[in-house]
Amino acid sequence: MKRSATSLSRRDFVTQLGGGFGSVALACLLQEQGLLGAGKNAVPLGTPHHRPRAKQVIQLFMLGGASQCDTFDYKPELQRRHGETVNFTVTGGTQGSAGPLLKSPWEWRQHGQSGRWVTNALPHLAQCVDDMAFLMAMNAPTSEHSSGMTMQTSGFVTPGFPTVGAWVSYALGKLTDNLPVFVALPDPVGLPWTGKAAWTNGFLPAMHQGTMLNPAAENPVPDLFAPKSAGFVNSGSERDGLDVLAKLNRARLQPGDSRLEARIASYELAARMQLAVPQVLDLKTETDATKKLYGFGDEKTEPLGRNCLIARRLIESGVRFVQLWCGSGLGGASGNWDNHGDIFPGSDFERMCVRSDKPIAGLLKDLKARGLLEDTIVLWTTEFGRTPYSQGTKGRDHNGNTFVSWMAGGGIKGGTTYGESDEFSFKAAHNTTMCYDQHATMLHLLGFEHERLTFRHNGADRRLTDVHGQVIKEIIA
Amino acid sequence: MKGGLNLDSRSGWAEGGNTGPAIVPGKPDASLLMKAVRHEDKDLAMPPKKPKLAEADIDKLKRWVAMGAPDPRVNAVANSAAVNWWSLKPLVRPPVPKISAAQAKWVRTPIDAFIAAKLREQKLTPSPEADRRTLIRRLTYDLHGLPPSPEEVTLFEADQAAGAYERLVDRLLASPRYGERWARHWLDVAHYGESNGFGMDRPRLDAWPYRDYVIASLNADKPYARFVQEQLAVDALFPDEPELTPALGFAAAGPFNQSALVEQVDGTDCKRIALNLDRDDMVASTASTFLSMTVHCARCHAHKFDPISQTDYYQFQAVFAGVGRTERLFDPNADLRNRRAALRTKIADLEKNTDTHPPTPAERTELANAQNAWELSLAAQAVNWIPLQVERVASTNSKTTFTKLDDGSWLAAGEAADKDIYTIRAQVALPRLTALRIEVLPDDKLPTRGPGRQDNGNLHLSEVRVNVLGADKPTALALQNSSADFNQIDWGIERAIDGKSETAWGIHPQVGKPHQAVFELKQPNLATNGSVFSIELDQLHGQRHLIGRFRLSATDKAQPVRVPLLPLDLLAMLARPESERTATERKTIFDTHRLVHLKQRLAQFPAEHKVWAIAGDFTPLRNYMPTKEPLLISVLRRGDMKQPLAPVGPGALAAVSTLPSIFSLANPQDEKARRAALARWIIAPENMLAWRSIVNRVWHWHFGRGLVDSPNDFGRMGSPPTHPELLDWLAVEFRDNGGSLKRLHKLIVSSATYRQVSTHRAAAARVDSDNRFLWRMNRPRLDAENMRDSLLAASGKLDLSMGGPSAMQFKFDDPNVGVSPLVDYAAFDPDSPASYRRGVYRFLFRNINDPLLEAFDAVDPSLSTPKRNSTITPLQALSLWNNRFVLRQCEHLAARLERESGNLDSQIERAFQLLTVRLPTSAETALLADHARRHGLANACRVLVNSNDFLFVN
Repeated sequence: MKRSATSLSRRDFVTQLGGGFGSVALACLLQEQGLLGAGKNAVPLGTPHHRPRAKQVIQLFMLGGASQCDTFDYKPELQRRHGETVNFTVTGGTQGSAGPLLKSPWEWRQHGQSGRWVTNALPHLAQCVDDMAFLMAMNAPTSEHSSGMTMQTSGFVTPGFPTVGAWVSYALGKLTDNLPVFVALPDPVGLPWTGKAAWTNGFLPAMHQGTMLNPAAENPVPDLFAPKSAGFVNSGSERDGLDVLAKLNRARLQPGDSRLEARIASYELAARMQLAVPQVLDLKTETDATKKLYGFGDEKTEPLGRNCLIARRLIESGVRFVQLWCGSGLGGASGNWDNHGDIFPGSDFERMCVRSDKPIAGLLKDLKARGLLEDTIVLWTTEFGRTPYSQGTKGRDHNGNTFVSWMAGGGIKGGTTYGESDEFSFKAAHNTTMCYDQHATMLHLLGFEHERLTFRHNGADRRLTDVHGQVIKEIIA
Repeated sequence: MKGGLNLDSRSGWAEGGNTGPAIVPGKPDASLLMKAVRHEDKDLAMPPKKPKLAEADIDKLKRWVAMGAPDPRVNAVANSAAVNWWSLKPLVRPPVPKISAAQAKWVRTPIDAFIAAKLREQKLTPSPEADRRTLIRRLTYDLHGLPPSPEEVTLFEADQAAGAYERLVDRLLASPRYGERWARHWLDVAHYGESNGFGMDRPRLDAWPYRDYVIASLNADKPYARFVQEQLAVDALFPDEPELTPALGFAAAGPFNQSALVEQVDGTDCKRIALNLDRDDMVASTASTFLSMTVHCARCHAHKFDPISQTDYYQFQAVFAGVGRTERLFDPNADLRNRRAALRTKIADLEKNTDTHPPTPAERTELANAQNAWELSLAAQAVNWIPLQVERVASTNSKTTFTKLDDGSWLAAGEAADKDIYTIRAQVALPRLTALRIEVLPDDKLPTRGPGRQDNGNLHLSEVRVNVLGADKPTALALQNSSADFNQIDWGIERAIDGKSETAWGIHPQVGKPHQAVFELKQPNLATNGSVFSIELDQLHGQRHLIGRFRLSATDKAQPVRVPLLPLDLLAMLARPESERTATERKTIFDTHRLVHLKQRLAQFPAEHKVWAIAGDFTPLRNYMPTKEPLLISVLRRGDMKQPLAPVGPGALAAVSTLPSIFSLANPQDEKARRAALARWIIAPENMLAWRSIVNRVWHWHFGRGLVDSPNDFGRMGSPPTHPELLDWLAVEFRDNGGSLKRLHKLIVSSATYRQVSTHRAAAARVDSDNRFLWRMNRPRLDAENMRDSLLAASGKLDLSMGGPSAMQFKFDDPNVGVSPLVDYAAFDPDSPASYRRGVYRFLFRNINDPLLEAFDAVDPSLSTPKRNSTITPLQALSLWNNRFVLRQCEHLAARLERESGNLDSQIERAFQLLTVRLPTSAETALLADHARRHGLANACRVLVNSNDFLFVN
């Protein structure tokens, strides 16, 4: 079981370099280094464990703890016993004791062939239920925002672990040389609770880090182009400079040190990225009908609609993993789904629903119409749910005991549900799932067994799913 | 894992899962495990929903259970003498290998003898010594993290006297740049960051003294044993050196989940888990840093690979069970600390019992004089408060009503809203107005007697506004110098006039008592004749933090007008002339004044210094408070807070067979003594792990790879040592010579091994392509900080000032203390002074790292980084090519070259020397000069900055 000294180092070598430059250069280097180690120690890069059902992923993150009680988890008992006080054991959140039961002020109705219950807070997503598989009894070990968030993004409640996108990048490698493997699209309003740590590579090599795309900035990717303040740089100096650099570096290559060559290749790839990123962000070629589908033309829906449309274009262009955020952690409990004070019409909750409903539904419909949904897993998640009892009079507190998450596309059986919460939607009751199971299922569809996708760090073979996780066969087509 | 059963370890199956113990040793037929694999019970069937195991396998299991289910690993733990793992063997100095005559030509030090012996085993030969330019660049980067200046290179090349290399090493080790470079290595391992991480990534503006402590310790070549002990327990072991308190920043350096630990209410599972994980971070950090052991796996189960039991782990946790992370106060010397402590003790004693420290005659005289002056000043401060004539009190909430009580106060009743604004219309029976007073008063009708309407009796006054209602529009009156008799922590009275509705004045936990707040008018002496005032009291925090009962008054006394901090009855005594006071009253006044006087003296002491560190006692921060005694720590079944097993006391690892692993302490409840015991245990001469750990780290940082390639893990999941004898020789040599790191550095860098060229040899590479046996020197890429510092060194902008608060190399905004601040690197001016400081002094925000440095694998201090990645990516190329800071340094470098060198060719040559130390070939000079002629010198610098020769060190 012990690695030989050489294969360990080759693995290190490729994990440091492998995803970072062109396939030609990679092939060339691998040839030079000899074949990679086989079996358990093989570098995962693009070598799946079994036939994949999907090859790309879009993770949609509803920041703040989206209320399952007002969106997808219909409980007649809660509606009926509104106002009663139930003696719940409070496991976390911001208040020490439970308020009276609070039925949803939104209207419940069944939708689609599958007859899924959805409130009228999400009318557009309600049209897509037959494409979605709902995990109705998700559970989180915490009711605190950042821990809940890193749990869903990395599988751990403490910081420093690689995020799902970084693992997917590590496992599958790249589909294109022109764009980063893993792209994060924060809410235009601001970053999530943990800032850029929300798409960290953790201890995986830096190439697996999510690249933040900020479509509105002068540099949508940090340092994509020289800033305007650098007056001495122009297109002529740019082109000639890269030529001179390549000549200088080429003349000084050292035998046996492929890193020097890899750096030359990295500048060629950087140049390709300079062309590809503006192309992806240029929405001129999109029709009005498409834009309308995503909610363009309405200031309430256009900001996230734009990001959803860019997400589709990134997927089309070969980005492996797109992480798209709905909600910002800038303003405390506002500008996100952390609706302590109010979940009624007119509240922040309604604003978050309106902001995201049409854009995300538009994304699903568009992916489907273009045949992209077949190969793309769409995963909608949030850090935890909210209490069926009230906080103040109109709001809900954090609740890690149960919440809802859904998946669609790439090998997912649409119109299904798995799991059930209790009569009030306070606690997961039956077929409970955690992020481990969701991540295991995602990796399974991508062709990887979650237990075999590992990375050695500080004395442990680390996994995305820690020591947990079961593939949820029931939601796989 | 369903059903909660873990069969990987004895403790796993002995406890069993939800249905009880899985195995009864010696009794296969009574063991649930056998029932499960035989599929005798459908619910228990293993493997589930799959065919049974082969009968032969079931039979093997049966025989194993019949044997008593032995687990070799458990035995290894139980009998530590049997531990036979390399890293746990006691340290013995190995003999230095004998060398052949041929080897003798190459060998310079004992290190080389060990290396040469292994090379010969592998049929490899070492490489020759590198040239002087290569050596000085290598050494200066290694020891300083900076390039040598062209002048230093020239001097070294010219120094033909014997011992030139050794003199260079001595010079470099004596420079304070050494401590800066090597502190950065240490801080990587300690996962030192300057913000909390998690969701409330609040800045730690007082973390830097720990960083300065590490730099100073390294520069002073502090013995390693002392360095370790100070970081874990300086307060216990060296109590007379309070200036070393910043050492305690070590265990607090990691992330801190403020939203869970400070903001969340106590008693919930969520909070208890967060506290457990907080201790886990300290335990993991201490064990990885000093012992190179990964004990944290044992939080949930006996370590699967190493002889570390859950008991070991929780004993380790017990060491830290009495500390929290806080802004710890300390004095810069023992004398000041002692005087301050004596005065504090005296005050505390007198507050409890006024007769504890009878005044000496001299003190009595001093106090008599001071009391006179005090009484005079109090008399001058007395204020004539005249109640406002209130016409109307209104609430924005239609369900709240107000009743006027006999004493002129107003009581709120009816349904309370979450938030409210009270508006009071009133007149003043004074010719002029200088200040306004709000009294909030208790009442039996209020929750916990008020004075607030919140369930806990608190109130939050967000903002006070006063308007004069004139003939046309109201005129706002500005308020200043607010004072109150009591302020809730973080809810001071100044917040009621700061213009921010999200901050407010509060009085918790002093509920059920009257309080008062006074506001001066910015423009005093306002004529009030007949004017009507409108006073608005904003109470916008929510959750019914509203005033329950209040009274308003005003005064025309000349400013300053402040709330007196004395009880009302005492003020009444003081109002009478001395001759009319009783003896008891005189003593009360004397005692009160004495305390006031002593407190004034205490206030005149210089402010204490602060450092983010661990502490047993500290000022509570909302729901985060010190435990009076260390918490009782129990082994947790599967790491689950809800399943405590046996309680444990403080201790360490049983696997270190040379030392007792359970600490016997005179007073086990003294948390400091626990840390002191751990520090002594770690750095005992018999602790083989600690000494092996540090020499391996130092080797790793010199060569880019340790003798053990997993510097934080000497367990079975780590790498075995390539040169076990050399490792042990170094460990003993280091330990027995005073633990001097500088001596160790010199020993290593003086070796022929270190001085080899880094050139590839195909034949050697076929045997050892990774150079594990060191047949040549490695060729590292500059790390993030080296790269940035080198650009500044070349551009001439490097600011070498040392220490102090960290340089914020970003635009910083902190509009909301309840969330993470805004950190913007792109908006930061690369020419502001903070930009020119060395990388080790940059402010390290956990969640938002500098994109330029991140592209070069700067550490994320969420977890310990024993070895940095060294990646090559397109984003890194983009950063070095386009980053604003880099481009600005290219311009500065070009200007410097034009200033310092004559023609273009010599400017190009100097640019090469500044960035790469080497001299260019004539073809290279021509290539770059041509580029400079066409696009300017700054563009030529840009090319050179991006070259491999700048970024790699031969």
